[in-house]
Amino acid sequence: MKYTPGIVKENVNISKESPVYEFFILLSGLLLIILGLYFILGFAINIIVPEISPELENILGKNLINRFEMPENSGKRNKSLQDFADNLQKKCINLEYNFILHIVESSQINAIALPGGHIVVFSELIDTIDSENELAFVLFHEMGHFANRDHLKGIGRSIVFIAITSLLLGSDNQLVNLMTQGIQLGENKFSREQEIAADEFALRSLNCFYGNTAGAADFFNKLADNEKPSGFIGKYYLTHPESKNRAAHLENYSNAQGFKTQGRLIPVPENIKQEHD
Amino acid sequence: MESLIILMILIILGYFCGTWFEKKHYKSINEREKAFITMPTITAKTIDINQSDVENSQLVYGSVVISNDYFKQILASLRNIFGGRVKSYESLVDRARREAVLRMKEQAPGNTTIIINVRLETSAIGSNANKKNTIGSIEAMAYGTALTLKI
Repeated sequence: MKYTPGIVKENVNISKESPVYEFFILLSGLLLIILGLYFILGFAINIIVPEISPELENILGKNLINRFEMPENSGKRNKSLQDFADNLQKKCINLEYNFILHIVESSQINAIALPGGHIVVFSELIDTIDSENELAFVLFHEMGHFANRDHLKGIGRSIVFIAITSLLLGSDNQLVNLMTQGIQLGENKFSREQEIAADEFALRSLNCFYGNTAGAADFFNKLADNEKPSGFIGKYYLTHPESKNRAAHLENYSNAQGFKTQGRLIPVPENIKQEHD
Repeated sequence: MESLIILMILIILGYFCGTWFEKKHYKSINEREKAFITMPTITAKTIDINQSDVENSQLVYGSVVISNDYFKQILASLRNIFGGRVKSYESLVDRARREAVLRMKEQAPGNTTIIINVRLETSAIGSNANKKNTIGSIEAMAYGTALTLKI
């Protein structure tokens, strides 16, 4: 038998199709599946969330708060803030929640609404505000999230998202990273819309409490001074709308509703502003 | 945001560098295969010759480890979800096997007449290749018996 050596002319062991084409086809297929599931489940959450009673939410909230290791609801400063919030609620808010205020030491200028009526206010936020009106606006804003039940929707959607991506791809996958970032953009838009809705709620409540909306825009104007412009692309990465736009929106909304935008600003109660305990 | 940019850079870098290295490697493989065409390699265990005609016989082997790039890895993990041929790894395995055979031939003494009983093995290096931040590689090994016959 004669041995005939041969040179590979046409390599049959390698597919000829473009890998870039394959990449885009597979990626778009995956994105479609995830988006489809995400919207269906997100829709389901929007149906379920209004059905969750405040009692059930209290139970959920309790677990969550324990996990966050919130400090005990004690101290004069915390109590003053609690009294202030109770007063706000009694006069202008008709919600089935017993709001529980927590002051947490942090350098972030922020406040969070957590299930069960818990409102966490970071100490830096209290140090930043200059009037009681501003503080009332911030608290009304968080209560607005409860009124729209954004706190539950937000948590629900995050859980759904994490569940889908982990199920499909495993929790330890670079693709999850890619998807998370992509879908987060859509989620951020949703979150920005929630913020605007809560701002409008806060404005209406502020008008109810003080008879004017003075001070509401001040807070955002102050934040805007420290904010870098996010630019055309950067703004899609914000969970909150840009402060300067929020301030402008508040003024427009006040004017449209016929609210008085000027009025006397009340100083922040001493025991809330200064006492650190 | 940063992690997305880093991932994109890695994918693009992986695609362009990976393609460039692959082309270069194939060019080298094709040239060397032509140069070694006169050294037959067969998988048969025995050949029909008298033992007294064999001047020298020895084990020769060649092995190579080739790593995949980020682009190939992402493409393969996408394939993992839908199933089907993992085309991005085909060229990797093809290159590794041909390179291993070439190295085996290079290891054979210059006066080798034939390499018989050639076997090919492949193995994955870094078995946790699917874990985060680890890139898998493939090892291919070719071995056989190089015979030098008396003329």
